Amino acid sequence: MELLESYLKAVKRYLPRGQREDITAELSEELRSQIDAREVELGRSLLEREQMALFKAYGDPMVVARRYRQGGMSLSIGWELIGPEIFPMFLIILGLNTTIGVVVTIAILLYIHQPISAAALLRPAIIQLMCVTFTFTILNLVRRKFPQPWYYPPAALAPMIPIPRWVSVSGLVVWCGFTLWWAAIPAVPSLFLGSAAQYLELAPSWHRFYLALLLLLIAGIAQRAVNLKRPSWTALFPVSRLLINAIALGLQCPIIKSYPYILVADASNSPHARAMAANFNLGIFWGVLSWMWLYHLISAVIYAWYSAPHLRRLIDHLNRDTGLSHELKGIL
Amino acid sequence: MANSTAIPEVFENLRLELRRGCLTLAVLTQLRTERYGYTLRKALADDGLEIDEGTLYPLLRRLESQGLLVSQWREEEKRNKRFYRLSPDGEKILRQLLEEWERINTSLGRILQEA
Repeated sequence: MELLESYLKAVKRYLPRGQREDITAELSEELRSQIDAREVELGRSLLEREQMALFKAYGDPMVVARRYRQGGMSLSIGWELIGPEIFPMFLIILGLNTTIGVVVTIAILLYIHQPISAAALLRPAIIQLMCVTFTFTILNLVRRKFPQPWYYPPAALAPMIPIPRWVSVSGLVVWCGFTLWWAAIPAVPSLFLGSAAQYLELAPSWHRFYLALLLLLIAGIAQRAVNLKRPSWTALFPVSRLLINAIALGLQCPIIKSYPYILVADASNSPHARAMAANFNLGIFWGVLSWMWLYHLISAVIYAWYSAPHLRRLIDHLNRDTGLSHELKGIL
Repeated sequence: MANSTAIPEVFENLRLELRRGCLTLAVLTQLRTERYGYTLRKALADDGLEIDEGTLYPLLRRLESQGLLVSQWREEEKRNKRFYRLSPDGEKILRQLLEEWERINTSLGRILQEA
């Protein structure tokens, strides 16, 4: 019943707060009854893919929850912009983003000794309102036009959901573009340095991480290409991304130690060029590297979570075939 | 002139509209006897009125919040189940609805015969 629990957990997330337990208990009973009836009919336990088919027929957790939110708050201007099932999440994200935006604005104004005016605080709030509303409107539209059983499936269900082709295609487009850009930088430094390429150059320390990062990008392309051809190879997606992010995380230390990344070209040692090099180095350090490790760490944890069911299934499979010891299963 | 590609959609909307009221009546009628969701759905299906879970459970909740149904969690076959039945108010409303249904049915029968 692990799959059932995962499915119910996914539905529960979108249900009205006060009724979550009650509705989930009732859904659980209904689904258990359906599983029981089917098992009686077949004279055996349902396979995971059969349970999965049952949940798919029951619907996307957000759609299921939406039925209990009819009459709930939503955002519409003649047509629905944000549906009732994601409206509470919209309010939370909007509140969080606006608070962060306003607090950061106040901190910056205090730091640069500027007066804190209502207009200065209103600006980030309006920007956040527009951005978050736009994002959720697109999300709502995509979900209505292209219903999927699960956009972000529970980890236990993910192995049984083929990777949507549009995910692989869009990833390939973005990843190929980024990889081509990265691959061309040594030959065409202006792609990275812009017009400053005439005064600046890449530091020799790039050799320590450049190729490794290029290989990781190529690995990302390979995963997307394979999943485009074979959407049912669901293990490849989380496992390869776990490895890519873990390796990228490991590379952060040598990359940070490689400071500075940009040097003044020999021919032009002007103060202006030195200032530009310093700005580039600080920009790379604080603008990218200061948070990149956190991004890779969070990604690695998420993909480890999504890889775990695949590992469990592999161990179960090996256990059946070779009688592998139960201790290994216990560890995982 | 109406777009011919919109006809199936128009039919579907009208069908759902027609069905909505009938389902409420059917559910209230079935719940003169206490049942839980799964058995209620089966009973309706056995009588030829299929209703999917996504429609039934929110409907039961709505009817309960309107005071037409009462529910109770109880253990049966080692599992907790939520049993629904008509409330006294629900019984009154059901009687009125059934009378209304009879009137509409009779009138519609006459109209269809004349046509």
